[in-house]
Amino acid sequence: MTKTLFFILLALLALTTPAYALDGNEILARVDKNLAPDSYEMYRKLVNVEPDGSKKEFILFTVKKGRDKIAGLFISPASDKGRTTLRLGENMWLYIPNVGKPVRITSLQSVVGGVFNNSDIMQLDYAEEYDVTRVEDLDKEHLLHLKAKTRTVAYDQLRMWVDKEKILPTKIECLTEAGMLIKTLYFKDMKDFGDGIIRPAVMETDSPLYKGYRSYMIFAKIQAREIPDEAFTLNFMSRLESLR
Amino acid sequence: MKTGVVLLCALVVAALSCGVSIAEETPTFDLSEIEKEVEKRPYAFGGFLQAQPTVSGLDRDSPLYKLKFYDNEPGGTLEQSDLGARLEGALHYGDLSAFARLDSFLTHDHEGWHGKMTLMEGYVSYKPGPHMAVEAGKRVTKWGKGYAWNPVSFVDRPKDPEDPEEALEGYYVAAGDFIRSFDGPLQTLAFTPVILPVYEDINDEFGQTGHVNVAAKLYALIWDTDLDLLFFTGASRTTRWGFDFSKNLLSNLEIHGEAAWIQDFEEKTFLANGQVLSDESDVWSTLVGMRYLTETDLTAIFEYYHNGEGVDPGDVKNLYSYIGRAYDAYKQTGDRSLFGPINRLTKEGFTWRNPLRDYLYLRLSQKEPFDILYFTPAFTTMVCLNDGSFNLIPELNYSPITNLELRLRGIIPVGGDQTEYGEKQQDWRAEFRLRYFF
Repeated sequence: MTKTLFFILLALLALTTPAYALDGNEILARVDKNLAPDSYEMYRKLVNVEPDGSKKEFILFTVKKGRDKIAGLFISPASDKGRTTLRLGENMWLYIPNVGKPVRITSLQSVVGGVFNNSDIMQLDYAEEYDVTRVEDLDKEHLLHLKAKTRTVAYDQLRMWVDKEKILPTKIECLTEAGMLIKTLYFKDMKDFGDGIIRPAVMETDSPLYKGYRSYMIFAKIQAREIPDEAFTLNFMSRLESLR
Repeated sequence: MKTGVVLLCALVVAALSCGVSIAEETPTFDLSEIEKEVEKRPYAFGGFLQAQPTVSGLDRDSPLYKLKFYDNEPGGTLEQSDLGARLEGALHYGDLSAFARLDSFLTHDHEGWHGKMTLMEGYVSYKPGPHMAVEAGKRVTKWGKGYAWNPVSFVDRPKDPEDPEEALEGYYVAAGDFIRSFDGPLQTLAFTPVILPVYEDINDEFGQTGHVNVAAKLYALIWDTDLDLLFFTGASRTTRWGFDFSKNLLSNLEIHGEAAWIQDFEEKTFLANGQVLSDESDVWSTLVGMRYLTETDLTAIFEYYHNGEGVDPGDVKNLYSYIGRAYDAYKQTGDRSLFGPINRLTKEGFTWRNPLRDYLYLRLSQKEPFDILYFTPAFTTMVCLNDGSFNLIPELNYSPITNLELRLRGIIPVGGDQTEYGEKQQDWRAEFRLRYFF
């Protein structure tokens, strides 16, 4: 009898506290999974808006495979057309057609100027770069406190607000090791991209370091695609266009 | 010059007026419009229009001034206007594609107008998949990891360390590229063989004609480090072996290096009487460098270059003295034959660009200071360690609107008598470059 009561209580406890039972790193893995398939291609428009309203736009074709391989090709504007970027884990390169060879770049630099830096444009899975150190339970959101796994990651800490129902981020604050806010990312405009990919189509960012400036990343045509590993190599950077 | 300046001003005003846009509170984005913009076509065409006025203060006592202008002296100041375009086109058909890059420039200087058209690159490619590509035609290979110099760049023209990011003209080659990826510490292995023919009508500037040369590069990404082993052999130039590497030590610190071992290099000694002595020996050219990004977005590139193919400062002094005598003789008698040996040296590969042995390079560029987007001031200096001379290159880069790039820079060589930078033909140079991409 005591045993039966114990199991009933245990079952009730498990049923009434599903959210609290989720481990922070599990939530983060589900965020990654919900943002994009394991291997995919997509197009993105990056828009830098200055305080006077003038804009500069870039369009990028991007392919990603697994947790740590991503490559991007600039389609426009004409001044940047043909530039490609490659990231393999912590290694990043930029290929400029005029220069003719890939050069190593760092995550904190920016190939497009404005608020987005290279690690924003070549974002790996969050779980690849961060551990969840603490989870706060808010009304409709989880607040995940993330800590970079290594010192080579662009932002030492992240605070990620995750929609409990959709398990997708709504806002991310990027901080230095000392806790200084570098930028805030806002995820907006949920869209169904097909094949079960339902995610925000717009990522907006602002930064106390760039007062009055805003940058937007608009996602289009995200679709799952098997891509050979050889596409994520230095030698292939000048030929990334052939994957389109 | 006036025509160039007027045209330039008109272009700047027109371009800037196109870029004024009305402030928006919240931009809206239409995904279907983006999808239309990214549609791929089987052809592509683009490039840029360029206008570049340049003013130079000339050093009329400099040996290099005397060598270049002995029969047509422009005076103390040289004004030059360059107008032109770089055109690029590509065609894609299945696994086959073709690409061409053409430079077409018109220059106005003290000799009047003259034009030049150069096929920088033009080749066809067969790419059956990401693991393999075969290419044939005129193209640039750009081997090496150095920013200002590349001692292992065995099958390319040397780049200009004062403008190292500028496109180069290629050579006619047949090349392959074979790539394999792996899991584990060795992530990538790639093999790039190159065949470079040198005959009277093809690649004759490369070296001795009448030969087919072979070069190859083996690339590995291992333990997060880029490594290349390089090789060149053929009768047009002597056999050479190379090695280079590049690695990020921190998220904001990259290091790189190159080493080239050149067998049977013909070392030259220039005597005061104009006589040239040659001696064959194996030499090393090496480069080590780093790229560092500070928290304030200042990028520093620092390199040390040992030019094994260089000469001693004493040899260059002898050359300067010889040019002085040739110039005096020409002025007195009109006989230009004494310039013959110097011109032959240049044809045989001697260059006045960094002819000595040891150099330092430093470039500092500050991204978007004072919150001015797309504005990058930079400062570059190159120091010749063998004679203590150097040059200073302050530079402003600005892209106020999409597809418009403006660059204003000065070049000031500094050095004593008979030093490399002290004897440049220009005391100073100021140039403004406008590029509009389409």
